[in-house]
Amino acid sequence: MATIALLDGVVDELTAICGPDHVFTGRSAVFNRARVPAPFPAHHWEDHIPSAVVLPTSAEQVSEVVKLANRHGIPVVPRAGATGLTDGAVPLRHGIVVDIKLMNEILELDHENRTVTVGPGINMLKLNEELRKHGYIYPDDPASYPCSLVGGRIGTSGWSLIGGRYGHTRDLVISFEIVLPTGEIIRVGDGGGAKVRKSSSGYQLKHLFMGHQGTLGIVTEATLELVNRPEAEFSIFFSYDNYMDAWQATGDLARSGVATLAGVVLFDEEKVRYLRRDDEAYIPQPDSVKAVIACAAYGNADEVRVGAKRLLRMAKASGGAYMGDEIAQGDWASRHDRYATPQHGRTRDGQVALMSWHCEDASIPYPELPAVREKWHAIADSLRERFDMFDDWGMFAYTNGAFKPWGDYLAEVDIGIWEMNWDDQSWAAWVDAKRDLARVSIEHGGSISACHGSCRAGEVDLVPTELGGGYEVMKTIKRSLDPNNVMNPGKYLLDQAYEEA
Amino acid sequence: MFGFRLSAERPPEAHRVTDVVVSRFEHIYEIDPALMTEHVHQQNIPNWEFNRIVENRWEHLAWMHAHFADTKLSGEELLAEIEAER
Repeated sequence: MATIALLDGVVDELTAICGPDHVFTGRSAVFNRARVPAPFPAHHWEDHIPSAVVLPTSAEQVSEVVKLANRHGIPVVPRAGATGLTDGAVPLRHGIVVDIKLMNEILELDHENRTVTVGPGINMLKLNEELRKHGYIYPDDPASYPCSLVGGRIGTSGWSLIGGRYGHTRDLVISFEIVLPTGEIIRVGDGGGAKVRKSSSGYQLKHLFMGHQGTLGIVTEATLELVNRPEAEFSIFFSYDNYMDAWQATGDLARSGVATLAGVVLFDEEKVRYLRRDDEAYIPQPDSVKAVIACAAYGNADEVRVGAKRLLRMAKASGGAYMGDEIAQGDWASRHDRYATPQHGRTRDGQVALMSWHCEDASIPYPELPAVREKWHAIADSLRERFDMFDDWGMFAYTNGAFKPWGDYLAEVDIGIWEMNWDDQSWAAWVDAKRDLARVSIEHGGSISACHGSCRAGEVDLVPTELGGGYEVMKTIKRSLDPNNVMNPGKYLLDQAYEEA
Repeated sequence: MFGFRLSAERPPEAHRVTDVVVSRFEHIYEIDPALMTEHVHQQNIPNWEFNRIVENRWEHLAWMHAHFADTKLSGEELLAEIEAER
């Protein structure tokens, strides 16, 4: 096994900190914590296997593990649900994986302040099952809703499918406790109060530690926003006979000003073509269906009803055809499926092959979506022409703004990859393609990632280009907070911070 | 008596729906078996397994709706109201 052996006695020290039942070095424990669902060089699996896994149960244990890592110069990689679509939880240099799944308790429910305080290992679905008893919901709704964890959502600065109504992770996490790369335990929020939503006191450190992909510490507790559980849900799917009309209607619906509107999604022609292969909602659609728009709204029943009628009138007036309640409601309810169902793509001759789903995301300004779409598909097509292991599964664009769904969009091109066929040549081509996708996003005034993060091979090369002088500040912060470069080293090219020092 | 007669649970012959999809039961679609001959092979499953998968699917979707909201509004009903208001 190609892991780097820990120094003599380190496992004993970890055991003394976390207890004998919470330290693992066995094959299944370490192999299963080498990857995440993002494209992964499976032909070099052994390069990413951690040396040990710990499952701490308190912030103090996490702190002691991090201090130990500093003493011995051992990398530490935080891991929550491991559902990320960049590689924040993938060990680049082996080391100790700190898996926070056992820190999954509801610590306090505060009705007066409308907050819930939880351990970072709790999952939103399970949290909401408890909150339902009190009439609340924590409305952070990623595609990974059934399996991602609060700590990972903070680590990636996650994006929510209903963020246009309720905000995204950065808006819904009020404050959190974090173990810094040197082991100190601090709390960050908007100012100092754990339950304060708005403060002008000092630097806004919550955002610094939101989306750091495990490079600046390990979250050990979070205080979250609660909202009333919605009385009503409304979802509609409209079809169009061409992409540009659907794109125009998407922008109009997003700017409608309907307060209960949670999001608008635009599926392009390639996405509809892909869905016609094996999605029961799309197989029977006539050939004239070339693009689809979905909208969803939540809130008090009377308010949702009024807003829904406005959305329906607008969609009809734009030339859209309502696809029926069964599709509208069923497809919306299946929005988390991609984490639960096996995927199958097609080889160039049409044969079914087991492929995994890889959605390459970016934040793209609305006017740029048509041009970006064409360039992204050209990149995907080029991959498929050269390697019969990639499959273009189409593109969607989803309103990206928090509380007011207009402006830029979460754009994704979904690419199926037959990962069993990876070799060095195809992996290198994929990394080049990923860099090309990111370059298009930047050239069109966007950001490399809206929700996944941008530290994967290929895309990460352009992070300094996207951030400009801000990337120099990132390096200064990293070096200052993590002087020994033990916290998830290698991510975001941050080794440069130490090479230049 | 336990078990079932396989012949009674054998799915009916498929009819073609599109160039890549066939169907054996109403509203239940299946990838054309001809596309599953090289890298992935189709399995034979009895009728009750078809039905179980479909019923579980609907159960899951209903659960997901109920998980997020008390009720779901019907676009078809609201469109009818809009038409009536014109």
